Amino acid sequence: MYALEVKNLTKTFDKLVAVDNASFEVPEGSIFGLIGRNGAGKTTTIRMMMGIYLPDNGEVVLRGVKVGQEFKNQVGYLPEERGLYKKMKVLETLLYFAEIKGKSGREVHKKAEEYLKRFELYDRRLSKVEDLSKGNQQKLQFISTVLHEPEFIILDEPYSGLDPINTNLLREIIIEMKQKGKVIIFSTHLMDFAEKMCDHIVMIDHGKIILKGALKEIKSKYSQKNVSLTYDGDISFLKSNPIVESIADYGNTTGVKLKEANQSQQLLRMLLDRNVTVKKFDANDISLQEIFIELAGHEDNGTNGKEVRNA
Amino acid sequence: MLNYRVLAIIKRELREKLFSKAFIILTLMIPGLIIVFGGVQALLYSTESKGLKFDLVVEDSGLLGDFQNEFSQRDFVTKKHYVFNYMSMTREDFKTHLQNKRQQIVDEKLSGIIFIPLSALKDKKIEYYAKTPQNISLSRELERPINKIFLNNFFKSKSLSAEDLDFARSGVDFTGFKVTKDEKIAQEGYGNIVLAYALSFLLYISLLMIGQMAMQSVIEEKGSKIVEVILSSVSAKELMTGKILGSAITGVAQMAVWLGTILAVSSSALIALPPEVTLNIKPDLVIYVLLNFFIGLVLFVGLFSMMGAIFDNAQDAASGNMPIMMLIIIPFFIAISMMENPNKPYIEIASLFPFASIIVMPARLALIEVPVWQQALAVIINLLTIYALFPIAGKIYRIGILRTGKKPKWSEVIKWLKYKY
Repeated sequence: MYALEVKNLTKTFDKLVAVDNASFEVPEGSIFGLIGRNGAGKTTTIRMMMGIYLPDNGEVVLRGVKVGQEFKNQVGYLPEERGLYKKMKVLETLLYFAEIKGKSGREVHKKAEEYLKRFELYDRRLSKVEDLSKGNQQKLQFISTVLHEPEFIILDEPYSGLDPINTNLLREIIIEMKQKGKVIIFSTHLMDFAEKMCDHIVMIDHGKIILKGALKEIKSKYSQKNVSLTYDGDISFLKSNPIVESIADYGNTTGVKLKEANQSQQLLRMLLDRNVTVKKFDANDISLQEIFIELAGHEDNGTNGKEVRNA
Repeated sequence: MLNYRVLAIIKRELREKLFSKAFIILTLMIPGLIIVFGGVQALLYSTESKGLKFDLVVEDSGLLGDFQNEFSQRDFVTKKHYVFNYMSMTREDFKTHLQNKRQQIVDEKLSGIIFIPLSALKDKKIEYYAKTPQNISLSRELERPINKIFLNNFFKSKSLSAEDLDFARSGVDFTGFKVTKDEKIAQEGYGNIVLAYALSFLLYISLLMIGQMAMQSVIEEKGSKIVEVILSSVSAKELMTGKILGSAITGVAQMAVWLGTILAVSSSALIALPPEVTLNIKPDLVIYVLLNFFIGLVLFVGLFSMMGAIFDNAQDAASGNMPIMMLIIIPFFIAISMMENPNKPYIEIASLFPFASIIVMPARLALIEVPVWQQALAVIINLLTIYALFPIAGKIYRIGILRTGKKPKWSEVIKWLKYKY
């Protein structure tokens, strides 16, 4: 059962095709990652899902019905560039955000105070937002995203500009929401975060969807040909070896891509024969980063990107 | 259109604008000035010279009774502004009298001595001795009664009828009459011109103030990026509607406070203004002005919001919104030019013209009788202007508020209209 279905979304700005015929499905109860490099079309896709932009083409379907105000009321949205009314007071801000979602009255008031206590902002509830530290303003923004108990939480590059404490706090909130059965959609260009948090992903590049599905399935599909390796010694002989397609150095680990899925044992034997100390040999692991690079090519390799965008 | 989201936005706008300290102080300052101005005026007229003492010295003792009789009927004596000590003596004696009273005059125990020599019956020249002899209000008030006595005396020997005398005595009285459709023709003073000035000025100030505030607020939302969060809850149309109505209500409340103060001051018994400057302000005029202003505010705030959405800082916006400022400034000067002669041909057009009618029509109403159909037409034309312009302003607003980066050119803004957003 899908909570949200995105069907053939297209958005053009002037001559730039920001999102090109994008389709994907967000399952119920999932943490869904929208992954791609900066400028790939993630924010535009999200804005169209939220009805902030009107798509040139396509539609977004919420449990069988085209999205509208109903969906907006059920969403908690944290945009990449976050903002608050500086002159408004902390508690007032929370109540206002809840009110435009259709939630007002004593219950929300009580809940807002609970959240403020939990995030150690209760003493500041009558302060003006501008008097809060940046970290506290971010906390306030998190609360305003979830205070009205949304069914969907959409986070656009949620970790950009967060300090480690708030990063943790946000992760806590996401997991809490997941336990409550809410759908969480977030966009990020940080592959390892996505890898840790998501169960479903869609990969977008130059406005086009290049990969989608459950993370586990994707990984097992791509991992067979890939070996993740940690070693001591010299492996440069592998570069010209006929069974190796390519080698990528990720710092701590090295990814070796084989030509055939059944050649991993052969690779291990070769390494041992050449006296390479193998510390870790994982023939069933591939990082999202590797998959992304395999699909989208190396970061910014020239004009390729532009041609696709203008197509 | 007025759903709970729009209402929440209106509420927030009111809290931010109408109920902000700075705005309340600014709003109350103007009626404060009106009351102070009215009060000072009234004060000047009422308590100006209370119980001032004068010696009235007449050389011809035969006139003493005439002066006593004539002065005792006058307001300045009955209301005890001036107290006269009547006496008669020759010029020689007067000189000694003046010497004796010198110290009292210097100490201001005696305000002054008026000496009416015999010769005055022929040349009407009288003398006034005081510490500050240039007293315009005294000479203005005494001139007529004294002249009357001289005239009476001069013509007593000639055989003239009382009628002839009355005619000779009277000066020329230039009284203005306001001609309206009503049967009765009302006498009228400068009050209407004062009122027309006041209306033009207050409408002008408030339009600029509210318009600028609305634009600032859009720029702030755009600049602080909060607009994207808001748009995840409400549509751009709802946001714009809420903001415009919030500003318009703020402006009308401000105008209501101002006009209410004028209405109260001009009809209050506490501050009695002299009849020639009494403001002829009626509740139905106030209601019309407020309605007309509300429509005007909606129109202008819509345009100011659009401007705020195009630019993302106050400096760019200040130069960019010049055309809109002109739509406020030019009508203001037209309204001011009307005071001289409200029947200039362009005034009638300006009072019906979209944008201009917001200031010109109220000023015109204060000065002359305007047919009801014209009053209604001015409002309808503004409503039609809103109907025609708002889809465009709304679209530019919708696109502009989410745009960042460099200042767009006008040609780009026009291109936005073709976007599907």
